[in-house]
Amino acid sequence: MTVKTLLLAGGAVLMGASSASAGGFQVYLPSQQSIGMGGVGVGLSMEQAAQFLNPGAMAMLRQSGVQVGVSATFARLAFRPASGGPQRELENTTVTPFNLYASFGPKEGKFRTGIAVYTPYGSTLKYQDGWEGRFSLSEITLRAIYVQPTVSYAITDKLSVGAGLMILASGSVNLQRAVALPSAEGRIELDGKTKTGFGVNAGIFFKPSDKLSLGVSYRSKIDARVVGGDVTVTNPIPALQSRFVANKFDATLPLPATVNLGIGIMPTDKLTIGVDVNFTQWSEYRALRFDFTKDGAPAQIGTATFSESKRSYEDALTFRLGGQYKVNDKLALRLGTAYDMTPVKDGYVTPETPDNNRIIGTAGVGYNITENFGVDASFMFQAILKRTQTEADLLNNGTTDRVAGTYRTNVSIPGIGFRYNF
Amino acid sequence: MNLIFKRSAPFLALLGLALGGCQPDLNEDPKSSAGQADFTTYVSVGNSLTQGTSDGGVYREGQLNSYPNILATQFKRVGGGEFVQPLFTEAQSNGSGYLRITGFTAAGTPTTGNVTTNLAIRAVSPRVLYTKYTDPVNNLGVDGIRMSDITSNTLTSTNAYFERITPDANLQQTYLQRVQATVTSLRPTFFTSWLGNNDVLGFATAGGASSSLTPIATFTANNNLVLDALTAGGAKGVVATIPDVTTIPFFTTVGPSFKATLTANSVPGIVAMTGAAPGGPATANRRQIATADIRDAAGNGRQLFTLTSSPFLGLLGRPTGAPWRSFVPRAALATYLQAYGVDTLQAFGATAGNPIPSAFILDDTEQAQVQAATTAFNTALVTAANARNLAVFDANVFFRSVATSGVITNTVPNTAAYVSGNLFSLDGVHPTPRGYALVANEMIKVINAKYGSSVPGVDVSSYRGVRFPQ
Repeated sequence: MTVKTLLLAGGAVLMGASSASAGGFQVYLPSQQSIGMGGVGVGLSMEQAAQFLNPGAMAMLRQSGVQVGVSATFARLAFRPASGGPQRELENTTVTPFNLYASFGPKEGKFRTGIAVYTPYGSTLKYQDGWEGRFSLSEITLRAIYVQPTVSYAITDKLSVGAGLMILASGSVNLQRAVALPSAEGRIELDGKTKTGFGVNAGIFFKPSDKLSLGVSYRSKIDARVVGGDVTVTNPIPALQSRFVANKFDATLPLPATVNLGIGIMPTDKLTIGVDVNFTQWSEYRALRFDFTKDGAPAQIGTATFSESKRSYEDALTFRLGGQYKVNDKLALRLGTAYDMTPVKDGYVTPETPDNNRIIGTAGVGYNITENFGVDASFMFQAILKRTQTEADLLNNGTTDRVAGTYRTNVSIPGIGFRYNF
Repeated sequence: MNLIFKRSAPFLALLGLALGGCQPDLNEDPKSSAGQADFTTYVSVGNSLTQGTSDGGVYREGQLNSYPNILATQFKRVGGGEFVQPLFTEAQSNGSGYLRITGFTAAGTPTTGNVTTNLAIRAVSPRVLYTKYTDPVNNLGVDGIRMSDITSNTLTSTNAYFERITPDANLQQTYLQRVQATVTSLRPTFFTSWLGNNDVLGFATAGGASSSLTPIATFTANNNLVLDALTAGGAKGVVATIPDVTTIPFFTTVGPSFKATLTANSVPGIVAMTGAAPGGPATANRRQIATADIRDAAGNGRQLFTLTSSPFLGLLGRPTGAPWRSFVPRAALATYLQAYGVDTLQAFGATAGNPIPSAFILDDTEQAQVQAATTAFNTALVTAANARNLAVFDANVFFRSVATSGVITNTVPNTAAYVSGNLFSLDGVHPTPRGYALVANEMIKVINAKYGSSVPGVDVSSYRGVRFPQ
């Protein structure tokens, strides 16, 4: 009975994590104008953000232009453990997803080219010290910045197509959690940058009349791969050092594909209404696996040279409805709502994505300071509905690497954007 | 981009501030409540488990992490009052002394030693006595007490922990009288009673070589006496059952590795002593045990070896008297060896002349006796509890499930394994603080179910397992 067999037999399983702001860790904040309208825009050709929403609609834009926007997400979470202990919350952190779009083309031409930079996935959560799920996750920062050069072509004055090359230009992940040791708690931090990844964003836009438009777009999956990320362990018990050998990790996180359908209705010159449905292929996200290495060879962290944690996400739909009313040439008011269905099954909720169905309300205002220059403010509120998982749920699903209890989250996202069209 | 952010930052910050009100609130979900129970004054009755014994001793940290103290802390959230324990002082925090890990051998086996500083020992001769604590206490847990002891008026002369909490003017007091006096003076509204473990454990940990199993009639009668005393003022409470002692690390740690060693060396079996009856090599107290009959980690085989046998099994096949000296007082050794016909010059464990002592093995016959007694005692405990409409914590069922499949507390796996399992302390019998916290949470579950209360549980994973040198 050596200490190794003793200790390794009962040691803690190292588990992984990923992240939160549309279902799962999707961040659906296309632009300040779109946010104000509940995130619609696949069936509209209102603005430069068409490059993200539906590249096919870009050719229908009558103006070249540049627009930038930034949002600030304030997530407020409450967690009660299954044992009935005190409420746990997040430390306050703010994330600032941004968007940048520019497109150029002759006013009456059939071609339009553009470039977009946006952040479709990401999450930052920092749980308060000592919370019950700390051995699962204490802190996560996940970022992904996409750069997308785009071309769009109007086949007729009613039908246009477009496509962009999506480049995962910059991505990073940082995960921190406590490590359960017999008489102390250690800490592990995984930190890595993603490899550049490529995908496609393509769409078709059809506008049969002045009062109606339709759009469909597809964004492909990109795997965010981390190779040779850094593993940092703080272990206060010298006798257990043999558990913590590895100093590098490899992992892959799927940033799933989406199919988007949209309808635009323009009953009057002043009123624009959009209805969108997004289908996100979250079922790609089956498990989160980390492989640990030292000097290129598999090496131990915890009880094994890898950790694997079930996700088993399901494909999910989001329904969006929004409108814009132009009060006059300068002022536009926007309102929207959405219902975002969670990809996370019952009993599979993890601290890095304390997810459930979301009810979303948005409002926005646009103001043209000059003929070319405008400013847009947006506000989005997401109520992530209350979700409970019991110890029994976790045992039944083999997901005891996460914590039983009840989560409830609100996210407030104010934002501001500027646009210059010419 | 940067510029834009800088300009909009103050606006965003202001808005963020206004959003502070978005914090969801689950505090009432569920709201803590006492339900039909009244936790104003809580009294606990029991043995070492109730006293907070851990690592083979009673010390301040163990007392602070006793399940009654954890329960009392949680009860305070639903109207519970002060809970007084006979704590050792900070200066004498190591109390009776206890086992700790002193280091690791080259092979990685932990070595243990006794803590001998800051003790609360006031006498060592003729017997060890501890610093007195004679104020009224809510925690009446007394290490070593049996159900059969509670009506004995000589208990203070045999049990140093009961002597410790009994005023000198009152040394004839029985444990039952102390419980009755406490009920009269403190008027408890709630109690836990967990007695009876030692009525099987003493016999079992001695490998059936000494001690005895309490007759069921005595057990039942005494249990009724103590429960009548506790409920005399209308208090509600919990009665806990007795776990199956054969699943604790004290019995499951040594056998599997010993069996593996014997198998690796093609040793077909060993010679052991069984029971307590005197007699030489040719008598019925000697028995052959086949290697295959030793229980391994997978549960194959029947014979269990005690944790106390661990230092001596390596002497197998050699002439030695060391195993005998470890549990027979030096003055009595010669007589003992004579009575049992032991010749320490013969090969240990390989000959009937120098068998493995009965005290090191709980064999299948003894296990059956322990099992039968445990089942009968538990039936008596549950019957008595039901008759008084009390909650029952079935520790027998709970610890069996821990032994079979372990228990995961907020993502942290725990098992009934020695050292690595987190739940049992270095003595292999008593829980660690984490083990006690788990017991407290299980009791809270049955309390909430029985009395419609919502007493919050604790974060079991924040209590330590076995302490490692840091």
